[in-house]
Amino acid sequence: MSFSKEITLSKSSVPKVALLVLATIFAFGVFEVGFDQGQLFSIVFGEQAYADMYLHELTHDMRHAAGFPCH
Amino acid sequence: MRTSLFIVIILLSGCSAGIVHGLVNLAIVEPYLDRAIGIENQHMFASGEAKDTPQFWVEYYSYRAWQKGGQLLAGAILGTSIGALYGIVFGYARNILPGNSFIKKTLVLAAIMWVVLYLIPFAKYPSNPPTVGDPETIILRQTLYVLFIAISGFGALGFYQVYKRLKSRKMIAFIGYAGLMGMAFALMPQNPDAITAPMDLINGFRAVSLVGVSSFWLSVGLILGVLWQKLQPDKVKQSKFQ
Repeated sequence: MSFSKEITLSKSSVPKVALLVLATIFAFGVFEVGFDQGQLFSIVFGEQAYADMYLHELTHDMRHAAGFPCH
Repeated sequence: MRTSLFIVIILLSGCSAGIVHGLVNLAIVEPYLDRAIGIENQHMFASGEAKDTPQFWVEYYSYRAWQKGGQLLAGAILGTSIGALYGIVFGYARNILPGNSFIKKTLVLAAIMWVVLYLIPFAKYPSNPPTVGDPETIILRQTLYVLFIAISGFGALGFYQVYKRLKSRKMIAFIGYAGLMGMAFALMPQNPDAITAPMDLINGFRAVSLVGVSSFWLSVGLILGVLWQKLQPDKVKQSKFQ
């Protein structure tokens, strides 16, 4: 006679895919808000991005408030 | 572990806590930023770098609106990214954290990371409003800040390994971490920029900035704890056939 039963397991490891995705998001987000001085937009807009600093200005107030060095 | 659910609840909790952080900043930090930028404007008028004209104020209010609007978006981005790091650490540490519920565990971890990654670095390199930073020293200041956080973060991880291996006198691990951070405090250079703004502005700004960041860590701990408790992404069902 055969029967089936369902058990619940708790897996303690963090999946490698999750680790990769989350670590990438961490690095990108912290750089964008805390450190970018035009570098990200310079990929598309070239040298002008360093003068405009759109992202820097957008994240300016949070950058100061969160304790990152600015100006 | 259900990978997608694990990632989604971590990003959701970080993003939500980041928006809370942005809202707190809009309410209590912005008045200090406005005052500090007002001082910067006066310096520019005095030095002749800018003229006190209606055109100046039109442009000023336009970019201040852009910057203030950015509080929420930047809060969401920063919250999501710091929340991602927090989620990774929670993923590995959840079974060894103290607490009989996931909410207690997430709050304990949030408190530890708040101290290690924010409060201790803040004591050495406190936040400053506009008017304090010199553009010429930005690379040095960013390097010092990141280095100090890295020493604190990796130091805490290293001394946790020591803590695990000690069978008795586990206090040695805490003393070791305190010694490491004491050395970092003593040896690393101070922020090179002179403070010329009024100290009531500087101290008030630092206090509200501390409240804002603390609101993030409290929120991310609570939100992730509730979501984890409810959805339990580490529980997988397996069918056994006999």
